[in-house]
Amino acid sequence: MSFVDSLMAGLSVVASFEAFFALFAGICIGVVGGAIPGLSATMAVALTLPFTFSLQPITGILLLLGVYKGGIFGGSIPAILIKTPGTPASSATILDGHPMAERGEAGRALGMALWASCTADVVSNLALILFAGWLASFALNFGPPEFFALILFSLTIIAGVSGDSLLRGALSALLGLLLATVGLDLVYGTNRFTFGDPNMMGGLNFIAVLIGLFAIPEIIAMAWNPTAHLGKARALGHTKVSFADYRRSFKSIIRGSFIGVFLGSIPGIGAAPSAFLSYSEARRKSPNKENFGKGEIEGVAASEAGNNGVAGATLIPLLALGVPGDVITAIIIGAFMIHGLQPGPMMFILNVDIIYGLFIGLIVSSVFLFIVGSVAIKGFRFVADVPKRILMPAVLVLCIYGVFAVNNNIFDVGVMFAMGWVGYGMLRYQIPAAPFLIAFILGPLLEDNFRQSMLMSSSDPAILLRGPITWFFWALTLITIIAIVRNIGKRAGA
Amino acid sequence: MKFTKLTCAIALGTVFGAAAALAEYPERAINMVIPYGAGGATDISARTIAEPLGNAVGKPLIMANVTGAGGATGSVTVQNAKADGYTMLFARVGSHSVNPAMKATLPYTLDDFRFVTVYEINPVACAVTPASGINSMDDLIAKVAEGGVSYSSSGVGSLLHLAGAMVLKEFGVEDPLTAATHIPQKGGGAAATAVLNGTATFLCTNSSALASFVANGQLKPLMVTTAEPVVGFDAPTANELGKDRLNQLVGWTGIAGPAGLPDDVAGKWGEWMAAATQDTKFNETMTARGSVIRLMDPVEANEFIEGQYNVFRALVDELGMRIEG
Repeated sequence: MSFVDSLMAGLSVVASFEAFFALFAGICIGVVGGAIPGLSATMAVALTLPFTFSLQPITGILLLLGVYKGGIFGGSIPAILIKTPGTPASSATILDGHPMAERGEAGRALGMALWASCTADVVSNLALILFAGWLASFALNFGPPEFFALILFSLTIIAGVSGDSLLRGALSALLGLLLATVGLDLVYGTNRFTFGDPNMMGGLNFIAVLIGLFAIPEIIAMAWNPTAHLGKARALGHTKVSFADYRRSFKSIIRGSFIGVFLGSIPGIGAAPSAFLSYSEARRKSPNKENFGKGEIEGVAASEAGNNGVAGATLIPLLALGVPGDVITAIIIGAFMIHGLQPGPMMFILNVDIIYGLFIGLIVSSVFLFIVGSVAIKGFRFVADVPKRILMPAVLVLCIYGVFAVNNNIFDVGVMFAMGWVGYGMLRYQIPAAPFLIAFILGPLLEDNFRQSMLMSSSDPAILLRGPITWFFWALTLITIIAIVRNIGKRAGA
Repeated sequence: MKFTKLTCAIALGTVFGAAAALAEYPERAINMVIPYGAGGATDISARTIAEPLGNAVGKPLIMANVTGAGGATGSVTVQNAKADGYTMLFARVGSHSVNPAMKATLPYTLDDFRFVTVYEINPVACAVTPASGINSMDDLIAKVAEGGVSYSSSGVGSLLHLAGAMVLKEFGVEDPLTAATHIPQKGGGAAATAVLNGTATFLCTNSSALASFVANGQLKPLMVTTAEPVVGFDAPTANELGKDRLNQLVGWTGIAGPAGLPDDVAGKWGEWMAAATQDTKFNETMTARGSVIRLMDPVEANEFIEGQYNVFRALVDELGMRIEG
């Protein structure tokens, strides 16, 4: 079948009102779901899944993909407006997005988030369509030793998001690593720090920790001193993103998109590390490095490009290998299976109509995302105008509902409040929360892959240097660490 | 006029009151806990039966995923719930026969639950990559003797973990725990990926989890554990290889309540499940995914699970796989 034939076959399955309506509805659901703190993109997709059972395969899958993409963008809205990531992937957006909102530039930050998201989405979709096979076979070269090297390198991000004091950042990261060890041991299956409580056996719920760390301290601070914010120029978000902003951040957006595509195509990493990596690279390369973390629009652009770049690329292992890349694609793969579709290389031969139908749908989705996103920004922007004393209690209620709903477990709500006090303490002592989060995400990956490598090699550490990919990341890690140390030296000298 | 209204109200009240007094289970919605995540085998199975089952029950079924610790978190939720039939669990082979057999640390035992049905059996298949040059179970066993063979699983205490050891043991490997390395992964998808990218040599898991890889030629099946061949799997059955005992090694999904579940409630579930599993769409969907629909009544279900648990427990004790502490 020629390319044109495939394209026509794809059009024939996707060119229906239902398919495009489902995609559009999905994006709307996703943006709203992502924008509600606690109701992450993952949950929005999981909640939508049962509705796809009775739909046509392509319609159902487009609906889920719409929710996914919408959710990843939607998460940036509360991240910017109320310092609460709607979805883990948008945690990096807080770093510069929220300071911008505090300065009264919420509209500009949101606009940049949308532009960067859509650009990255297009890049990601194109990568999927053009290089799926190539990237998938590359991703298969990633065994535990390669992963270990990659994650080790990613931990250097901590230096980039520590703010003024690297020591405080490292402290925060250590705390994150420590809390990430709670749960069942990977290799022996024994309990670690569970104190005999079955609720702790699954580890601390990620969403509960995330919300606790970012949203609750703001609420506690508000309750502590209800009038502290009065008189500050917060209102309002009528500023808009300009084309000059976009052009200035374009390099970071493209770099972030590629980081997203790369990390997305490797199963098992996900969007949050990608956003942080993109952010820290943008900071490293930027001439106004000092502004990052204080409301630099390029930081928002880089984070959003990093997480949306993952959205299309996670479909690469899914379609080309039949392997889910993260939690969300694991849910989407369920939708394939329920319709008797078997993702993998043969799908490109047996169900070429569906594959091309998906490709067409994905390209259209970037446009839909832009439209829905623009409308959402217009609507949500006014959240910035709501007086804090009214906004914060509402946020608290949403957080409790959201965190409970993740796992229908009241224990998670307790975790959220406990982490809230930890977060508040960190806020008071100017310990940055971002390194904690990165360590909490990457710590288990680092440990698991290290121990898997050791199992593979019967505890011979030489396996950690087994091929060019590992050498590459070890070298990058070394270079980065040297750069960080020199930077500290310079600062100390100055 | 006023009087009529009042009489009507009283009459209505009496009717409702009588209905309440006579009310039979279920008089309100039933909470159904799925102890695994959305999109997984248990979740899809549960949500596929939910529709015909809901029709049979006549009250809404509220499906909730409570995930974590290999199904333990969700199971504990139901263990601690009131045994009134309004909180039920979709139990699975991992959470209710492998885990209890392997983990001394588990906060529940089989005695904490009463099974009302098992409705689905999933054959287990073992597979390797075509690139490995392994073409049969004999090849695999020969490779094990050479050393350096490993198998992946979705975690410690999962069906995959036990299956790898059990299959090797049945094929005459004396000490499978040292002869082959177990490399646990986080989740079934990651376990399959580990074999695809060469991290592990083989894995044994539900045929439905392998079907797409086998159809795509990415993995090569060596054996299925059922007596009947599995559609789409060009591999001998355990019985053809003379290992009938492996027939016990199958996945299943069932429904359970807390231990004190009354008899009439369990009886109701038996009736509902009999009606629900007749549904054509349910049958089509499940069979297409490689499941075998086999409905067991409460007594049969308890026997089946008990039987499988005992086989697993004996193996675990023999190999010293039990996880303490």
